[in-house]
Amino acid sequence: MTKFPKIIGGAVFAAVTAFAASAMAEGTLRYATIGEPPSLDVQVGTASLASTISQHMFETLYAFDAAYDPQPMLASGEQVEDDGRTLVISLREGVPFHNGQEMTSEDVVASLTRWGEHGSRGGLLMKNAVSLEATGKYEITLKLSEPNGAWKNLLAFPNGGPVIYPASVASAAGKEPIALEDYIGTGPYRFNEWKPNRHVELVRFDDYAAVDSPADGYAGARVAELDAIRFIPVPDVGTRVSGIQAGDYDYAEFIPGDLFETLDADSAVTVHRNGAPIYGLMFMNSKDGILKENRKLRQAIQAALNKEEALRISIGPEKLWDANGSFYPKTSVWYSDSGVASFSEGDAEKARALAEESGYDGTPIKLLVSTNYQFHYDQATVFTKQLAEAGINVQLIVVDWATLLKKRAQPDQWDIFFTHHGSVPDPVLITVLNETYPGWWETTEKEALKASFTGTADIDARRNAWSDLQALIYDQVPAVKTGDVYSYNIASPALKGIGDSTVIWPHFWGVTK
Amino acid sequence: MRETLHTLLAPFLARRIALLGLAITLLMIFAALFAPIIVPYDPLEIDSLARLSPPTGTHWFGTDHFGRDTFSRVVFGSRLALIIGIGVVSFALLTGVPAGILSAMFPRVGWFVMRAVDVLMAFPALLLALGLIVILGQGVLNAILAIGVVYLTTTARITYGVTLRLRAEVYVEASRSLGAGTVWLVLKHILPNLVSPLLVQASFVFAFAQLGAASLDFLGLGAPPDIPSWGNMLAESRIYITRAPWLLFFPGLMIVLTAFSLNLVGDALRDRLDPRFREALGTPRRN
Amino acid sequence: MWLYILKRLGAAATTLAAASVIIFIFIHLIPGDPLYVLLGDGATPDQVDALRQKLGFDRSLAVQYFSWLSNVLQGDFGQSIFFQTPVLSVIGDGAETSILLASITMVWIILLGIPVGMIAAMRHGSWTDQGLSGLAMLLASVPTFWVGLYLILIFAAWLGWLPSSGYPSIFDDGGLANLQHLLLPSLALAAPNAALILRLTRASMLDVAREDYVRTARAKGIRPWRVVVRHIFRNALLAVVSAFGFTLAALISEAVVTETVFALPGIGRLVVQSILRRDYPVIQGVILITVVLYLGVNLCVDLSYRFLDPRVELE
Repeated sequence: MTKFPKIIGGAVFAAVTAFAASAMAEGTLRYATIGEPPSLDVQVGTASLASTISQHMFETLYAFDAAYDPQPMLASGEQVEDDGRTLVISLREGVPFHNGQEMTSEDVVASLTRWGEHGSRGGLLMKNAVSLEATGKYEITLKLSEPNGAWKNLLAFPNGGPVIYPASVASAAGKEPIALEDYIGTGPYRFNEWKPNRHVELVRFDDYAAVDSPADGYAGARVAELDAIRFIPVPDVGTRVSGIQAGDYDYAEFIPGDLFETLDADSAVTVHRNGAPIYGLMFMNSKDGILKENRKLRQAIQAALNKEEALRISIGPEKLWDANGSFYPKTSVWYSDSGVASFSEGDAEKARALAEESGYDGTPIKLLVSTNYQFHYDQATVFTKQLAEAGINVQLIVVDWATLLKKRAQPDQWDIFFTHHGSVPDPVLITVLNETYPGWWETTEKEALKASFTGTADIDARRNAWSDLQALIYDQVPAVKTGDVYSYNIASPALKGIGDSTVIWPHFWGVTK
Repeated sequence: MRETLHTLLAPFLARRIALLGLAITLLMIFAALFAPIIVPYDPLEIDSLARLSPPTGTHWFGTDHFGRDTFSRVVFGSRLALIIGIGVVSFALLTGVPAGILSAMFPRVGWFVMRAVDVLMAFPALLLALGLIVILGQGVLNAILAIGVVYLTTTARITYGVTLRLRAEVYVEASRSLGAGTVWLVLKHILPNLVSPLLVQASFVFAFAQLGAASLDFLGLGAPPDIPSWGNMLAESRIYITRAPWLLFFPGLMIVLTAFSLNLVGDALRDRLDPRFREALGTPRRN
Repeated sequence: MWLYILKRLGAAATTLAAASVIIFIFIHLIPGDPLYVLLGDGATPDQVDALRQKLGFDRSLAVQYFSWLSNVLQGDFGQSIFFQTPVLSVIGDGAETSILLASITMVWIILLGIPVGMIAAMRHGSWTDQGLSGLAMLLASVPTFWVGLYLILIFAAWLGWLPSSGYPSIFDDGGLANLQHLLLPSLALAAPNAALILRLTRASMLDVAREDYVRTARAKGIRPWRVVVRHIFRNALLAVVSAFGFTLAALISEAVVTETVFALPGIGRLVVQSILRRDYPVIQGVILITVVLYLGVNLCVDLSYRFLDPRVELE
């Protein structure tokens, strides 16, 4: 009997030695994602992960450079006529799709048409379209009923944006998400396989036709150095971190703020801070419930919140957050400080007075929040405490994300709900301004300002209008911005060429391993 | 008096290690009852300046990312552990025992009841609980219900098995032939004999309910996250495992100790059990 | 005998039918809408309605159930809402991981549980016995995910000996070496279950040792180790075999959390993710297959019992 331990020991030893060091193909980048991506048809979907992956396969007519200025990508130039009502866009010649066909105006027209009809953000540009035509093999003409100052930004923004598919794919798909076998684009990587729960794999597209200018942000030449990129779902964050430390992954996303300092000092890991922030938003219900028309109570809630405390607790290191009330960071052309004095007052007395004035009687206010994003829940917890100090009772309704998405569409289920949004290149894309988005903010003041904002192509007039809109948001409180959060990702030090990502989605052209 | 105490403690005196189990169990009950007096801090008090502190003289078990005192939260966590344990055991007994007795006494009804139990047992326990929670919504009561359903099945089976044996025993047969009613039979002969096997079952159910609740909490589907339960503490802190490994240590240790001590108690009780019933108990565990 | 098998099969089929109804109803009671998850934040009600119609979710529950059932009986478990691929292929992708994980775990359970249980039984009453039994009880009380997290911390993050997570297929680059990814999770999963098998081995060996024929064998002067191997061990094995049914059920349950912690692309994590995404066809498929597996294993265990020990009266 006493021999047993030895036998077990022997077996373990044999087993361990049999496990030779695993050899992964050298040129494959392994990216640990927070979960399985939804459909990669980014015209229709807006999930961040889908954008991250698909930007390697699908391209847009324009792309943002490091300064957020849209530069031609599949387009080669444009002419704006008729005070901005007619846009003539010329296309680059000799750009092949992954299936070998050359991209022509026919493909662009089909893609933009589908985007306009079914794309998540297509309506923003295309609802005023009078006609969209191929006016040459490499030229399209878009006529609008009124000028749209955001047109180039909208054509450059890949998230829910107008990526170019072959005409056959775009017109066959209609409103359905595009099927896996039709993932055909013009990008430096092409779709290889999707194994559920295991990985999505892209491989280099050898016939890629790059723009003839140096890489700059998302614009310029995209050079595929790696053989393949694998996006591997690793939902547990601790596992993502230790996976990088142990060399099982090359890149990992969504790392919590509190690990920043440790990881920053860890030589086995390099830290990549995103250049553009995301921010939490608490939407107030304008359709139903206690906050419906009670502006004073909304202001009371706004006054009670100390967002710095919430950011410190939920995010941690000060490098990773900014108690910034403007919807844009200081570096942006859209930055404005109008209204931001009310951003983070944390004044319980003022809040109490405002609440009293509003006729608030202590009825619990239903705050809908999900634990799928920990900082949502953490901030909501801190705010609940702060509001309680001002005599405002909050009832946290904690659900999972799928339930939240369904509940928030039902106006009688909630008073406030918590979500977050990424940076968008044009304020027209900010959901607070969208009257069909849950919260349903629709006042005459807002409609007037919004009309003057979108109806002109003049950048100064648009900036002023946006500044007024931001002030109105702080006065009518359709939503409360909870502060800028700079997410960061981590990578193996062997990865070279990852620039400062200027937008949320990291890309891997120009990167070597 | 002394005699009674001795009989009660007998199973534990025979096995020293079981005495340890009893002591830990009592300590946990004490902590749960007097939590507000014991703790140095309010378990919900947020302190943004003292986040993620390692164990020190002021914060014995350190603090979490809200700056809340882990020791105080662990002590308060024993309340939820107790509530979950008692809740699940009560639910399992109150549903499983009648179902089991009924099935044994009335075989026709019993066939259906036991088939229903079979159906429930065919589902992996955690998936069953998970499904119930997602349908019912998160909450302590719902967590108790979801885990309770899992152990309702084993309790019903055990009761059924023991009752069948008792029913077949001569004296029950005899009293039946004398014209005793079913109710009287159950009260007089069956229930008293069920007490000790069910006590054993209850200790095991209590122990495994802790593990089940912790798993649900860990998947984010157990007690609401604003309640300091040990499982929630693990779920909230798991992202800090490399940064602050101690954060997960103490709540996890408490789960282990609680389950361990009740397993020891159950084990000691089972050893003293009438061998006739030991077989009916089978394995207490269902995962 | 054949009658018995038929009866058991009939009972299993009834259970399965009832279970299928429960699965279906339960799953559709889950609040939340898969379509919103699928279409994302910006979906318009029109898009949602169109997709609902396409997937057949606008039909009545009863109609959906029978169409699902008749398809399942033909081997078609439907399409995953989320992946847009057949459910069976989604499950098939996870099956390799889960089957290998369960197998390796079973190896640990047998290698650790049975011999150590035998040692404890042979040293019955000694400190070794008490210590081993106590340790087993302790291990049975440990949450697998908690052990898992610390195993990752120590062996992957600190020592760097083993991979922390994930599992590339053995058919991928790396081949059999990829099995090292399953070492830590299988250990975490094995701990509480090996402890139970240990206790069971010990208890049944002690029971058998008290039986008359073993005493007779001893009295006949057969050497102690032969008594152990030929009589006690073989009979004790019976009890252990009967435990495999519930050990399997335990493994399936615990794999749900373990696969989540170790980011394994197995069926356990698939089911949690599918619940969160409300991917009904996948949840239904996985649970149904699990139930079939459970019923099948239990049937096999009962039957093998009959063959291994003719004294066991079935019925």
